[in-house]
Amino acid sequence: MTAAGRAGAGSRRATLLVLPAVVPVVVVVGAALTSAVLLSLGLTPLVGRPELSLDAWRATELGTSIRLSLAIAAGATAVATVVGLCLALAVTAGARRSRLLATLSSLTIPVPHLVGAAAMGLLLADAGFLPRLLGIAPADWPALVGGRWWIAVGAEYAWKESAFIALVVAGVLSSRVASYTETAALLGAGRWARFRHVTLPLAAPALGASAAVSFVYTLGSYEVAALLGRPSPEPLPVLAVRLFTSIDLAARPQAAAVAVTTSALGLVAVLVSLRSLRRLAAEQ
Amino acid sequence: MSAPLLVSRLGSRLGRGALAFWLVLPLVPLLLWAAADRWSAPALLPQAWGTTGLAEARAAGAGAAAVRSAVLGTAVAVLATPLGALAGRALTSGALRAPGLVFAVLLSPLVLPPFAVALGLDVLLLRLRVPAEVGLVLLLTVAAIPYTTVVMRAAYAAHDRHHDEEARLLGASAWRVVRSVHLPLLAPAVAGAAFLAFLVGWSDYVVTLLVGGGRLVTLPLLVGAAASATGNDAQVAVLALSAVLPPVALLVVIGSIGRRARR
Amino acid sequence: MSGSLQLTGLTRVHAAGAPPALDDLTLAVPAGSCVAVLGPSGSGKSTVLRLTAGLDTPTRGSVHLDGRDLAGVVPERRGMAMVFQRPLLFPHLSVRDNVGFADRVRGLPRRQARERAEHHLELVQLGGFGSRPARALSGGQAQRVALARALAAEPRVLLLDEPFSALDTGLRQEMHELLADLRLRLAPTVLLVTHDPAEADALADTVAVLAAGRLQQLGPMRELYARPRSLAVSRLLGGRTEVPGTVTGGRHRSALGELELPAPAPEGPGVLVVRPEAVTLVAAADADARGTVVQVRRRGLRALVTVEVAGRGTEPAAVAAELSPGEEVAVGAEVGLRIPVTARCVVPPAGLADAREGASAHDRQR
Repeated sequence: MTAAGRAGAGSRRATLLVLPAVVPVVVVVGAALTSAVLLSLGLTPLVGRPELSLDAWRATELGTSIRLSLAIAAGATAVATVVGLCLALAVTAGARRSRLLATLSSLTIPVPHLVGAAAMGLLLADAGFLPRLLGIAPADWPALVGGRWWIAVGAEYAWKESAFIALVVAGVLSSRVASYTETAALLGAGRWARFRHVTLPLAAPALGASAAVSFVYTLGSYEVAALLGRPSPEPLPVLAVRLFTSIDLAARPQAAAVAVTTSALGLVAVLVSLRSLRRLAAEQ
Repeated sequence: MSAPLLVSRLGSRLGRGALAFWLVLPLVPLLLWAAADRWSAPALLPQAWGTTGLAEARAAGAGAAAVRSAVLGTAVAVLATPLGALAGRALTSGALRAPGLVFAVLLSPLVLPPFAVALGLDVLLLRLRVPAEVGLVLLLTVAAIPYTTVVMRAAYAAHDRHHDEEARLLGASAWRVVRSVHLPLLAPAVAGAAFLAFLVGWSDYVVTLLVGGGRLVTLPLLVGAAASATGNDAQVAVLALSAVLPPVALLVVIGSIGRRARR
Repeated sequence: MSGSLQLTGLTRVHAAGAPPALDDLTLAVPAGSCVAVLGPSGSGKSTVLRLTAGLDTPTRGSVHLDGRDLAGVVPERRGMAMVFQRPLLFPHLSVRDNVGFADRVRGLPRRQARERAEHHLELVQLGGFGSRPARALSGGQAQRVALARALAAEPRVLLLDEPFSALDTGLRQEMHELLADLRLRLAPTVLLVTHDPAEADALADTVAVLAAGRLQQLGPMRELYARPRSLAVSRLLGGRTEVPGTVTGGRHRSALGELELPAPAPEGPGVLVVRPEAVTLVAAADADARGTVVQVRRRGLRALVTVEVAGRGTEPAAVAAELSPGEEVAVGAEVGLRIPVTARCVVPPAGLADAREGASAHDRQR
């Protein structure tokens, strides 16, 4: 067999190996997006005649929901990134690394967000555990659950995602950083200089990528905001699910429009973060 | 010990304490409520301990719901793990055309909100008369493929091909290499990937809600229903804990598999 | 810039109850000199460097630099730089910024650090490589950059932990020449760790032989070759001939007969060790001993032969000899052996050395 023929055979084999995963993903994602776009444009109504219209896109208060969803995702991700980095450092920092923190954060990973939401409710409500712990009467406790600032919602995402970010970043740090920080110390770098010039740059790609993943996840997640948020305004997922499950069949195209919007936002967020990660890699 | 060193040690102790507090605090009221019969504000600890929450949770059908969740999680893990393993193998083989594009396609379910996919597909599944259970497993398997692919791709990338070549030279057939070299060396990664896929099925809420139309009651649906009502905190806590404990137990088992493999 | 390093009674026990990885090492590295610590793997030689650099804390003993005790001084304030077996270039920095790293963390402006880095890259003959990413270098180039990075830190002591053992023979030779050249130009104080006697010979003024955590012998390589103090040292340096016998009145009696010794040796049992290069095959008349060739091994142009000498009433002795280039001899040939008086050296028998060591350990415990 010729070299080219062998390469062709190898490539065919690799393609065959990857197809069983690619086909369902392409079919499900493609069909879902196409169907949602068609539905939002009025082309596939459950009842009545298909007719191209932008009504669904005009009817809903998309702007408010977009701003709210972005704000919640940004705030929760910012807190999760800082805490996650601290956790990763504490878990991997040389001789004094903390086994306890490593165990605790890996045990937080399998907790479903819905359970986290239930727990945050029991913790932060005005008769919850935290006001009792601090000795504050329910009447004096700020409305963290269902309040104006979406504190309980943000806290739940920040809590869960900080463990996720810590896991990813600690994985990178533990495998690479110990020997590099030793070398840096021998070249005269003190604690802060080692963090600033070695640890942080080595952790940055993993930190950025995991922050992007948790931002997109938070943006599109339904249950936490539904449980711990206030009735209005609604974040995008809550708005979409309410419209979709309402008895008014005419609301379905609007739900589809919200779903398409959320997907587009997630895609844009990923593309932006990919670009900045690539620039980070190029600068280094 | 010098004074600055003492201060920095103390600072790092405090920092660690705060981090541990951050991780544990949300779970404390869950544990306390699960064993509380009566716990009215402002008492710091329950006034009466008991199993009311457990009884209520069982009456609400927690047992059957847990079985449904476990079946769903297992089905997703059984489907998504081998698919992710094959894809991970292909992606690291170097023989694939446009591996970057293929990887991006396989990761795309991460970018799309699950509710959006479920919502878009729901109408289609109804029109094609696909049973809700089948549709649900299909959707969640697709949602789990990014995780299994990432884990298995990393594992295959770290896997030293010289082991395979050595085994072939020692007389092992291609299948034998997979069985006697790949699987034992990759067992921790396979277990990790299967665990993540199981979690996708076990803890899903919104896809089950939308595709199942409320008729398919899994454990998360019970938790959601209980938590959105008021005044049954003990039942919420028991249901929530029963959604957490099985995966935590699984994680411990998988951790021990990983440790044994490293030894 | 070069400092003088003094290690005193340095001991490190990794885990309580385990035998010490390094036991009571005292070693001086004068300013501008190069001292090599030579030992097999597991002998504790890397521990010497980690304790000197402050990466590990000694269980007992001290490290002094220019008379100042370094106990409690963190690695970054010790004024040392280390090159490891792996280059460990920071993957997120260019070659130039790797070399300029020490200057940057010292607070030098980026431009100045880069200029100085360029200078140090020229020192290791890699001028013009500055803007490449660290990942784009070959093994030999990466190790040169690691050396330049360590030199740019202007350390008072340069620590080298088997820095060239991952390189192939040709590259290693080049690196030896480069280091010798750098020593002439910059006269740094160097503490080198290696398992290769040839490397220690090529680079160091003084060699400390380490085995099982204990210092076996200290001196110039030539002296170690000629006068090993124990069987362990002789074996580590490639000694092959070990003839057991007895010393009486300055003469060694064994299967080889009675041989005069160049220097006084303690009376009683003793093992005669001889370098293969010193032994020559001669006609029977001029021979110190006669025997049969039992093995011939090729070593390039030369051959290494083993000659068995049957003793009278004693066990036969095996003597290794390296032939001169082109000289040939067949297995089974009867030959005469000439062992120059100056090449004869007697060391204590293995069992006896162990017993002495055991006794001294016992003394310390009391």
